Amino acid sequence: MSQVKEPKKRKMSLERRHNLTGWAFLTPATLMIAVMSFWPMIQAFILSLQTGKANNLKFGDPLANYVRMFRDNVFMASLGNTFLYLIIQVPIMLILALILASMLNNKDLRCKGLFRTAIFLPCATSLVSYAIIFRSLFGVDGFINTVLINLGILNTGYNFLGHATSAKIVIIIALVWRWTGYNMVFYLSGLQNIEYSVYEAAKIDGASPMQTFFKITVPLLKPTILLTAIMSTNGTLQLFDESLNLTKGGPANATITMSHYIYNMSFKYVPTFGYAAAMSFLIFILVAILAFVQMKVGDKRD
Amino acid sequence: MKRKILSALLCVAMTATMLAGCGNKADDSTNDANQETTDDAAGDDATAGDDAAEGDDAAAGDDAAAGGDKLTVWCWDPAFNIFSMEEAGKVYQADHPDFNVEVTETPWEDVQTKLTTAATSGDLSTLPDIILMQDNAFQKNVISYPDAFIDLTDSGIDFAQFGEAKTAYSVVEGKNYGVPFDNGAVIAAYRTDILEQAGMKIEDFTDITWDEYLEKGKTVLEKTGKPLLSCQAGESDVIMMMMQSCGASLFDDEGNPALVGNAALKKVMETYAALKEAGVLVEVNDWDQYISTMTTETVAGTINGCWIMASIKTAEDQSGKWAITNMPSLVGVDNATNYSNNGGSSWAITANCQNVELAKDFLKSTFAGSVELYENIISCGALATYLPAGDSDVYAKGDDFFGGDAVSAKIVEFAGKTPSNNTGVFYYEARDAVASAMQNIVGGASVDDELQLAQETIESQMQ
Amino acid sequence: MTKAKIMKVLMYIVLTIVSLISVFPLYWMLISATNKSVDVSRGALLPGTALIDNWKSLLSQSPVGTAMINSFKYAIILTILALVICSLAGYGFEIYHDKGKDAVMSILLLGMMVPFVATMIPLFRMFSSAKLLNTTIAVIMPTISTPFLIMMFRQSARSFPHDIIEAARIDGLNEIQIFFRMFIPTMKSTYAAAMTITFMNAWNNYLWPKVILQKEETFTMPMLVANLTEGYVTDYGVLMLAVLLCSLPTVIIFFLLQKSFAEGITGAVK
Repeated sequence: MSQVKEPKKRKMSLERRHNLTGWAFLTPATLMIAVMSFWPMIQAFILSLQTGKANNLKFGDPLANYVRMFRDNVFMASLGNTFLYLIIQVPIMLILALILASMLNNKDLRCKGLFRTAIFLPCATSLVSYAIIFRSLFGVDGFINTVLINLGILNTGYNFLGHATSAKIVIIIALVWRWTGYNMVFYLSGLQNIEYSVYEAAKIDGASPMQTFFKITVPLLKPTILLTAIMSTNGTLQLFDESLNLTKGGPANATITMSHYIYNMSFKYVPTFGYAAAMSFLIFILVAILAFVQMKVGDKRD
Repeated sequence: MKRKILSALLCVAMTATMLAGCGNKADDSTNDANQETTDDAAGDDATAGDDAAEGDDAAAGDDAAAGGDKLTVWCWDPAFNIFSMEEAGKVYQADHPDFNVEVTETPWEDVQTKLTTAATSGDLSTLPDIILMQDNAFQKNVISYPDAFIDLTDSGIDFAQFGEAKTAYSVVEGKNYGVPFDNGAVIAAYRTDILEQAGMKIEDFTDITWDEYLEKGKTVLEKTGKPLLSCQAGESDVIMMMMQSCGASLFDDEGNPALVGNAALKKVMETYAALKEAGVLVEVNDWDQYISTMTTETVAGTINGCWIMASIKTAEDQSGKWAITNMPSLVGVDNATNYSNNGGSSWAITANCQNVELAKDFLKSTFAGSVELYENIISCGALATYLPAGDSDVYAKGDDFFGGDAVSAKIVEFAGKTPSNNTGVFYYEARDAVASAMQNIVGGASVDDELQLAQETIESQMQ
Repeated sequence: MTKAKIMKVLMYIVLTIVSLISVFPLYWMLISATNKSVDVSRGALLPGTALIDNWKSLLSQSPVGTAMINSFKYAIILTILALVICSLAGYGFEIYHDKGKDAVMSILLLGMMVPFVATMIPLFRMFSSAKLLNTTIAVIMPTISTPFLIMMFRQSARSFPHDIIEAARIDGLNEIQIFFRMFIPTMKSTYAAAMTITFMNAWNNYLWPKVILQKEETFTMPMLVANLTEGYVTDYGVLMLAVLLCSLPTVIIFFLLQKSFAEGITGAVK
């Protein structure tokens, strides 16, 4: 590498050298992504143009799979469910995480370590146990129903996971519960890059906690908020675990997600990889559009 | 502009150097990784040899020689099918001292994922010699990947010695691909103490119809407050058991979905809805809650494959309070019986097996030929579908948990009476669509509309 | 003053409630691990006496030691490599940013947007033809460099004061020295967060290892837990003990690192 670089050195301006250093810094990571993500992606795309079952794939009408998904009731249901989760769950979760992070950033707070660890716990807890707990909490004779009956709100137990609307709500609650702490970690670490003296100055100037939050915390955390927004959008559109483990997509496909359906099409049902790949590419396009919008809105260097 | 081109060229050069560097590095760490794996296995020579063989397809022949008389197997339940396979290994070892089986614990879903991945990518070398396959997935996998399995029709195994309904699962286009293993014969288990409170006995639930079941269930519910049956919402186990009890299928003989105009299915759906409506059947949301309805005594009974007994027995304090009999039969449907099947699995030999003759002979002399083996494994609840085993004395022994009844013999008898049906290649698609339809029907939708919709869903997924 | 006090009390109340809700499943896991299976299914909420039996039964049926070692091995190697490679890239993208690099970054972001189920089979084919199945490198390779982590470092490099770089250049440090001696120590909180997240993701990764690993001696903790849920009978006490063991490392790592999130910009800046 140095052999290539050495003779040019004298002629190169400082700026150019920095530019090249930059490229050198990002090359290993970029190459790995190219090989581990883009190459398989291209193959998946080629696959998405083929129709047929198992290994009997053939090229026919290249758009057949893409047309097919819009006539597929289950897929359309999964598309609707996924977007519902996205629109409701992501904002709630991010706002909650932001509030909790700024609370925990308070220098005078005691037991910060304990609170932080406790709130982070849900995402470290294995999915197996959390799925069992959520299902039993919301079961017909589960804890939630017992409370509601004792409060006189309900007469008999309500099967939360057995009805379409309530099952969707349970999934949203479960997602918020599990991932808020995860997002909080990014905000907490982002907040550390803001000098604490800024907050003290604001306090002396008589700013209320609300004002501090909106005028200082949110604007300074913008890069991190953008990061978590893209990540959560991506995570939600690829949502799989909750649908599979909490509700198995039921009742009657009321909670199934796109990735869950793709998984079924690939591994549970007779394998239809061409179609599965085509559905994956729709997710890809959707995430890409949303991420692009978010970048346009949030990724400006001041 | 020139400078830009120059820097681009430089970039390419750098990338190339890095790539080369990366490549070497990757190779090094591969060796390290292999080294580590071997170390982890605590110097297990067999593993190291196997690694080498896997690295080189051409060395396939050597593998058989190097591995001696070894067979690798994937199955998933240490207390049950893994135990059985290891016992089978011991039985075979008696005549073949060099022989051994190496079982890798692999959950069924993982077996399926790995099988699909390997077969799709065309590299079967990752598969073991023998896999245990869920009966319901047999048609699907063999028809999707015919090259991945070995035809056992002419292996000398006498398939007539197994229950007909059981063998039918692993027969694809007239060829046998599986050696039947565990029994999934349906039993109806009841809490005799609860029935007694309602003034009834187990005999009152033997050889009955679903109509009688419904009426008696209402009485039990009224007198004791306990439903007769619980099941998982969104799973169609009960529906599929009812269907098979009259030999009916969700597909016609050509393999096309036959939901619309299927008299048996319509009757099944109506029966289920009536049971749910009356409160005789309660739906829970998952398997854990299903088990807990029995352990916490919230239901007076259950209907499922005979393997459910193992879960029932975990509540040791309920010993002596349970009894088993056959399931109710459908009313007004042709060929209705009181017998059915749910679950169960069969052994299949994969195309990656380097010593097919050994594998065939092993299965033939154990799971398809050794009453002794089935006597050894009955302790773990593995009930044979191998009919000669049913005559063994071990099977005639009473089980105190079920009031001293000879349940094993009873189940083998049930298995022999079970009608076979057509699983269908698209079994899982149909099963899910029917479960969805059932949930909507319970919610008040019309049976005909929902069956129409379910049929369209399956047809669309079959494309 | 009183208003501030009320606010403070309110804050404690909110945090306590949120913490309790968050901790409950771990508590339940702990309790379940000490109970017999039948008691777990009957909804036991108090400690039982079956912990030792569960422990023995878990050890007798599953290679917990091997799985733990494997999981740690994969997670630690992956975390170290990922942090170095991705932070280097994130730093490069931000500090030396220009139109070309911003464009490359946008393209890279696309890399995380395809569902893994779609790329899994091509990836498997790649590793199988490279004869790398069952190796550590196959387990970790696909997730060493992730657009997400690169972006995380890029976003945090945005708040890295450029005067530091200038000052360091004047002091005669070269670019790579600046990265290692200035950026890494300054961005401790970002590294701590990234480390926790990467470790957790690596530890919990399930789908890919299960496809690429065929041999029992290479199995990981999540695979071991999955093995316990399969079969006709699930022993919930044993399962919860395994789940607990599987969750603890991430929790401990978080607990140890969480202080670093709060330390803020230290040392180098002042």
